[in-house]
Amino acid sequence: MPSRTKKTEQPEDASMEDVPTSAQPDQETGDAMQEDEFAENGGSGNGEEEEDTVQRVRILPGSSPTAASFEFLEEGHTLGNALRYIIMKNPDVEFCAYSIPHPSEAKMNIRIQTYDTTTATAALAKGLKDLEDLCDVVADKFWTERNRFTEAGRMESD
Amino acid sequence: MDYDAMDMDTEALGPAVKISEADSTHVNFELSNVDLSFANSLRRIIQAEVPTVAIDLVEFMANTSVLADEFIAHRLGLIPLDSRNIKDMPMARDCDCGGHCDKCTVILTLHAKCLGDEIMNVHASDFSVSSARPNQTVGNPIITDPEGLGPLICKLRKGQELHIECMAKKGIAKEHAKWMPTSAVGFEYDPHNKLHHLDLWYETDAEAEWPKSKYADWEDPPQEGEPFDYDAVPNRFYFEVESAGNIDPDAIIQLGISELQQKLAKLITGLGEKSNIDDQYDGPQSPGAMDDGAMYQNDGYQTAYGNGGAQSAWGGGATAYGTTPYGNSGQGGWS
Repeated sequence: MPSRTKKTEQPEDASMEDVPTSAQPDQETGDAMQEDEFAENGGSGNGEEEEDTVQRVRILPGSSPTAASFEFLEEGHTLGNALRYIIMKNPDVEFCAYSIPHPSEAKMNIRIQTYDTTTATAALAKGLKDLEDLCDVVADKFWTERNRFTEAGRMESD
Repeated sequence: MDYDAMDMDTEALGPAVKISEADSTHVNFELSNVDLSFANSLRRIIQAEVPTVAIDLVEFMANTSVLADEFIAHRLGLIPLDSRNIKDMPMARDCDCGGHCDKCTVILTLHAKCLGDEIMNVHASDFSVSSARPNQTVGNPIITDPEGLGPLICKLRKGQELHIECMAKKGIAKEHAKWMPTSAVGFEYDPHNKLHHLDLWYETDAEAEWPKSKYADWEDPPQEGEPFDYDAVPNRFYFEVESAGNIDPDAIIQLGISELQQKLAKLITGLGEKSNIDDQYDGPQSPGAMDDGAMYQNDGYQTAYGNGGAQSAWGGGATAYGTTPYGNSGQGGWS
């Protein structure tokens, strides 16, 4: 085993821009999702539209239909933990966990493994919808209680 | 949600809210029958992602006060501005104008010069707010003191002058704390520490030395000799939301929830557009699916990461490091 210092044939350093900083592919790799995006934007992809349609979720490679890792851009514990919980509530889901691989990268990964009755992507979509429904319920409960509280206060002051 | 009610126990009752105190500056409420993760999401979102307006750009025409320009600019940013009707206002970076315009920016000007012998105080109430703005309340400085002066900006001695033009823009606290709608959010659960999420420091007796939470009376104290319930999860969360003044406390909660929903809605739309995408990636690998057998069918001497071990990560000749698990993942994104 050659020692570190005697290392021969040091391969040429990769220049920084060639090295992806993370699992996000750079523009040239042109994965299917990004191509889809371009098709939708008519290939232009500029202006304010771009901001909204930037690909914010992708499946990390090495996934099967029932077990996948999703990478979310610009998300953190706010969404990650609540989404993890609500996906885990789904009885078709065997395992779900989230992680923020590095604190200085605005990325959040969710791992979903399901039983054969559904797919990981479907479980994620269902999780998002369920969390939205939960928000609806809590927002409604809060506002009902707020109105009840102000009404009670008014009665007292009269 | 169509889940089995059996494993939902108390959550089957559905979330509940109980307000214990509320006025124009704060609201205290109890959120129950939700998970800690959701309650914490709510806390995070009302603190960091509810948009408000705040002064973002200041032009100094004259400043002969004792305070430096940037010092005053920082103080200006922290002045709460009315954000109740912020819905009419787009984020400046999403606005069509590209820079700043009447739709996305509120201009506040202030020109003060001390002429008398007395020290002159310059307050937020001395601002004149331009009328060209999304609506006639957004961007007004919040004035709650009985004298109607608002926050103090600086003091001027005889002959000193301050002449500024400020641009207030919409933003969120994730970008800068001046955009926080809340000044403090209390978040508490399990006042008796039954779940042992806290390890209380004590001299002789933690029970005697630590003051009781005001919510301690709301929950049953632990019984003498009660065994630790390792299945217990927090269920009742006590929020104390204090508004900075720019949005009413009840509206902060409402806007926070709707902000979370918008986040989810965007992801649902994004996900719907490309649900036909499974595994066509050739970028770097995540730790693969354990049941994805094909990936792991190698000759027994390779790492699970697909690199045959003969090449370095950079595709050059063999190095001593070629067999690390950090090797080139097959068709690496940067080969």
